[in-house]
Amino acid sequence: MGDYRKLWSDLGMDLEKHDKLCAVLPELYSSVYLTQENRPEGMNYFNFVVAEVHGLRIQELDEHKKDGGKVVGTFCVFVPDEVILAAKAISVGLCAGSQFWVEDGEKVLPRNLCPLIKAFMGAKVGGTCPYFNSCDMVIGETTCDGKKKAWEILEEYVPVHVMDLPQMKKSKDYKMWEDEIKIVIEKIEELTGNKVTVESLKEGIRIANAKRRALKRLYNFRKLKPSPISGLDALLISQIAFYDNPLRFTEMLKALCDELDERAKNLVPDNSKRLMITGTPMAVPNWKLHSIIEGLDAQIVVEETCTGTRYFENEVSEEGDTIEDLIKNLADRYLKINCACFTPNHGRIEDIIKYAKEYSVDGVIDANLSFCHTYAIEHRDVETGLKEKNIPVLQIETDYSSEDSGQIKTRVEALLEMI
Amino acid sequence: MSQERFYILFPSHTEGMKLETILKKNSIKYTIVPTPRQLSVSCGISMMYNEQDGDSILKLINENNVNVLGMKSLIFENKNYYL
Repeated sequence: MGDYRKLWSDLGMDLEKHDKLCAVLPELYSSVYLTQENRPEGMNYFNFVVAEVHGLRIQELDEHKKDGGKVVGTFCVFVPDEVILAAKAISVGLCAGSQFWVEDGEKVLPRNLCPLIKAFMGAKVGGTCPYFNSCDMVIGETTCDGKKKAWEILEEYVPVHVMDLPQMKKSKDYKMWEDEIKIVIEKIEELTGNKVTVESLKEGIRIANAKRRALKRLYNFRKLKPSPISGLDALLISQIAFYDNPLRFTEMLKALCDELDERAKNLVPDNSKRLMITGTPMAVPNWKLHSIIEGLDAQIVVEETCTGTRYFENEVSEEGDTIEDLIKNLADRYLKINCACFTPNHGRIEDIIKYAKEYSVDGVIDANLSFCHTYAIEHRDVETGLKEKNIPVLQIETDYSSEDSGQIKTRVEALLEMI
Repeated sequence: MSQERFYILFPSHTEGMKLETILKKNSIKYTIVPTPRQLSVSCGISMMYNEQDGDSILKLINENNVNVLGMKSLIFENKNYYL
């Protein structure tokens, strides 16, 4: 129970308001995570990271900064971590998953906006996120209109660089994304004073690929019947992947997977229904849907989301002798992500159907955050694609509040009965 | 449904890690958890243990000079946070 108040104060945080957040987390975590039975012992590391989420990791960022290093905040799986790693900066996925931050966000943003955007803005405006306050720069992107306009306001609080993500996947768009990666390399070199070289970028690629591989291995266990790890725990691991030290995270995840290898030898069949979640990301500490669903006779076995498969599928090739070669490899990998910001986005429907088979799912929940138009509109195609394969699907549009939790539970129960 | 839960509190995470190594070596089960607010206002880790292991753990704490702030218990109400 370290006392981090001086550290938070030095970061310019609102200690009184932040204390209210600190008061909620243990109860929330205890209710959602520590009521699960027979969790793998390897989850202790991830419990530790959550318990120290605003403590030890922030101290590590502080030490890095005192040694002259820089911290870069991100909000999207399209921002190439490899580049940040190559410039010896630390990348952190920022706070955006709690109703706690929404009220402050609504002071500068319209209320009828996605809760993720309101939450990240509120975390900064209210001074209640030590990650945000540790950032020397935030790298935004143009994945939706809400974010695009929010960066303009955020710029008043912290330096922001926006990557212009193409909205289609024509050959010119690949070229454009390569150019955007070149520009972000220059920006990060300028920020850190460190040159991104072929060798350092290859090292960044190796670190990011190793993390992807470890997450993929974790997800492969979820294909077993029953999965030896809960959807809640897998979600937590994915969320932590965004802000933990990548080398340590990968090692600890490998150790957990070794334990799951043993568990996989003695699985006891059960009758719980296997569900996929597809849709918008679930930023930490958004555990709402998983908690409601796994409180029923169901197990979430895969998330086709940015805090799921989209984060780790496909590795970046290390082949090439020049920075240009590696930038092309990065662009090729990142543009394989099937986000609803693209038109058309048939690849996502193909992914969902492929995962439904690979993970033997009984049904799919297409979950999107309120006011996320791209995912809400794309539901029609998701539903059509799944119906053609006779896979039941339920759409849930929700935010971070718990007002609709009872209704969600009833709707999921109805889906489970139908299956 | 309510249950009594048992916790060890530490002055810093390093003492918690020290005890973790010892408990692992002695095959005693534990769960690292965020410190419940009712037990301390400081953020950070605590350790939850099974009641029947309390005496063995206390002995190991003393033998190995692990610095702890105490061993405490709490009544936990088991209900879904969202419902």
